[in-house]
Amino acid sequence: MTTTELRTMTDGEIRELCNRFFDAYQDKRVDILDEVLADDCIIWHNVFGRETTKADNLSKYHDSYDGQRRRTYDDRTINTFDDGFVIQYSLNGVMTNGHRGSLWICIVARVRDGRITRIDEYMDSSKFAAWAGAPTAATSGGQR
Amino acid sequence: MKRDSQTLELCDTFFDSIERCDYEALERCYAREAMIWHSHDNLFQSREDNLAMLKQGMATQQKVRYKDRRIRTFEGGFVQQHTIYVTRENGFVGKMDVCFVAYTRNGKISRAYEYFDTGQIAEFLGPPPDGDR
Repeated sequence: MTTTELRTMTDGEIRELCNRFFDAYQDKRVDILDEVLADDCIIWHNVFGRETTKADNLSKYHDSYDGQRRRTYDDRTINTFDDGFVIQYSLNGVMTNGHRGSLWICIVARVRDGRITRIDEYMDSSKFAAWAGAPTAATSGGQR
Repeated sequence: MKRDSQTLELCDTFFDSIERCDYEALERCYAREAMIWHSHDNLFQSREDNLAMLKQGMATQQKVRYKDRRIRTFEGGFVQQHTIYVTRENGFVGKMDVCFVAYTRNGKISRAYEYFDTGQIAEFLGPPPDGDR
């Protein structure tokens, strides 16, 4: 390996990488996501209990916005360690019908050579319906 | 690196004390002002209430194990990812993937944030006791 390949990223570089990743998600910049994620990046989701690939995630990115006008990744608290970062944040969404929802999420990521190599995502799936504004027994009577 | 080793030791002591039902050791891990936030209600729980909850668990749960622990320390705290396994009185073993982010002060946990999926709560709690059906 060369010296460059072994270089440890600084705290500032890791923070910048983290913010670049979330800004790209927020701004629908799939081209930047492609740059930020290593080609062999693995994404694990606690709600599914399985790992997915970079290709899986990027191919489904636009579909994940169905029914949503806007998503912002707010209240970012980022802490870094030698080979990665942990970020705690709120995901605020505005649906096409105007409904607003929030999710509180934590991601632990590993990095290498300026790119993200692994993402472990922790969400609470019981909050998804409220986030998306799905009809409930109390709201399904047409008086919204 | 001394701080890293102390932070790692604090993390180990915290989870080991729950596994061993060592309440005094667990209590010593929390700073006086400790607050514990949970993702399912977006609320902070007081030190007193959290300790009472954990003490109750020690009294009623057959066995608690934190497996596949992956710990990273950072300036002012640590993050541990693990799978918790709880053996219930009826023998059911519940499991849940958890991410625990802790902020420390003077070698104790001052604030903690616990993320898990309550959408999978049935796999964690298991079937209700016969009397609750």
